[in-house]
Amino acid sequence: MSLSARTQLLLFLISLLSIVGRSRFIEEDDDSDGLYSLLNMDQKRQSADFIFRRPLRCLDMLATDGYFTFVASQPQLACAAFVIAEPDEVISLELQDVSIDCTAGDFIKIFDGWVLKGEKFPSRQDHPLPLHQRYTDYCSSEGAGATSRSSQNVAMVFFRVHGPGSGFTLAVKKLHNPFPCNIMSQSPEGSFTMVIPHQRRNCSFSIIYPVEIRLTALSLGQAKSNDIGLQRQVWSDCSGSGDYVELLGGDGVDTSQMFPVADLCFSLSGLAQMKIGCDNSVVRLVSAATTSTACPFSTDCWSSTSSPGAERTVCLTSAL
Amino acid sequence: MKLKLFGTTVILLVAFLPRFECRAIESPGGALRLPAPQLQNSGPILERLGEEYFIRLGNGDSNSLPSSSLYPGASPAIYSRALQQLQLTRRLLQGKVGNIRALLSGFGDHGEESMERGRRSEDPPISLDLTFHLLREMMEMSKAEQLVQQAQNNRRMMELFGK
Repeated sequence: MSLSARTQLLLFLISLLSIVGRSRFIEEDDDSDGLYSLLNMDQKRQSADFIFRRPLRCLDMLATDGYFTFVASQPQLACAAFVIAEPDEVISLELQDVSIDCTAGDFIKIFDGWVLKGEKFPSRQDHPLPLHQRYTDYCSSEGAGATSRSSQNVAMVFFRVHGPGSGFTLAVKKLHNPFPCNIMSQSPEGSFTMVIPHQRRNCSFSIIYPVEIRLTALSLGQAKSNDIGLQRQVWSDCSGSGDYVELLGGDGVDTSQMFPVADLCFSLSGLAQMKIGCDNSVVRLVSAATTSTACPFSTDCWSSTSSPGAERTVCLTSAL
Repeated sequence: MKLKLFGTTVILLVAFLPRFECRAIESPGGALRLPAPQLQNSGPILERLGEEYFIRLGNGDSNSLPSSSLYPGASPAIYSRALQQLQLTRRLLQGKVGNIRALLSGFGDHGEESMERGRRSEDPPISLDLTFHLLREMMEMSKAEQLVQQAQNNRRMMELFGK
């Protein structure tokens, strides 16, 4: 082979290598059972009672993996089961042993999020899917309609059965979510860091309690450059500048219907603290995908009686 | 010469081929979701809402309205009409058809009788009318259940490993 041909062949092989090995996939083995993999077959058989089973009530909230069976003893026309997981988990729901009569008006619908008083969490603007794709109706799609995976740590199941003895089993499984966005907190106390990696999306962390929120070391992408100090800019409208953090308060779960209590447009190395005296307090991170945005914060319970002398934040509700 | 040119072109093409966008999260076995039936067009829904609007006009409203003194400087007749419309719009937005009484007697089987769900058509939206207080109670109960279950699992795991 001539020298030039060999050189070209070598260059070709080197360029092939450049295609391989640049993956950002996070490989997760869904079958990994953690400590269960250490058990032998006998022990695994005995561990069958680790699987949680209990009856499902007409109005229920589920926070554990397991199998929940609903059997109607009388017509139940308005039932719902809320499912909630940890902030860094998503929920996989599966319907099994379904015995309902779709033609008689029975239905089972799985919703990707929560609906409360007509308001949806996450809001339409914050959820990646359009509204009609967030519903999975068992009756209209019998085979494929039996499973659903949520996009965030909350999901819910609406169901209605007319005939006594009708019912179904709901299998709840929680899966790890490495980049959580749109989180409903189970507790008013705790700390969390919300990260939006290079994406144009808005994420919200919702706490259905009046809380005191402390933001620490906020890292935002491409803030507006001017020489006004942080203190004065905290309370002005940030909608013109790239990434920012909003603190919202309201009496519903839809973040688009809530009132902004404060905006933060600038990266923060100190502490920003805010008391929100509303039924629902939300930390919302708005990202324009310029760089990664990270917002660590902590929340604490706050009731208006605990600090009588302190300045109180009055919650503006939707009452006009 | 031509062969060299061809070779160089192939090498450049291979080196700069457009690659698949790497995504941080991939869910190959993800949600097997079929799209729900399309929402009806806005015409029939508005008509239906209109009927409900008029049906509700005569009903008393349990929610209190702010006084018209919040909007100084215009005629009272306009305000009463505007307030009425706001009131009805607000109730419609809350998605109610019938009684809105959340669980007063607390969580449990009592809730099934007093709970009412607003539902406009076979298609979404479906909504549940719960107070935040009740939702918080339910969340605390589910958290307690989760902790109990975790403790039981831990105990069983320790027993299993001990064998």
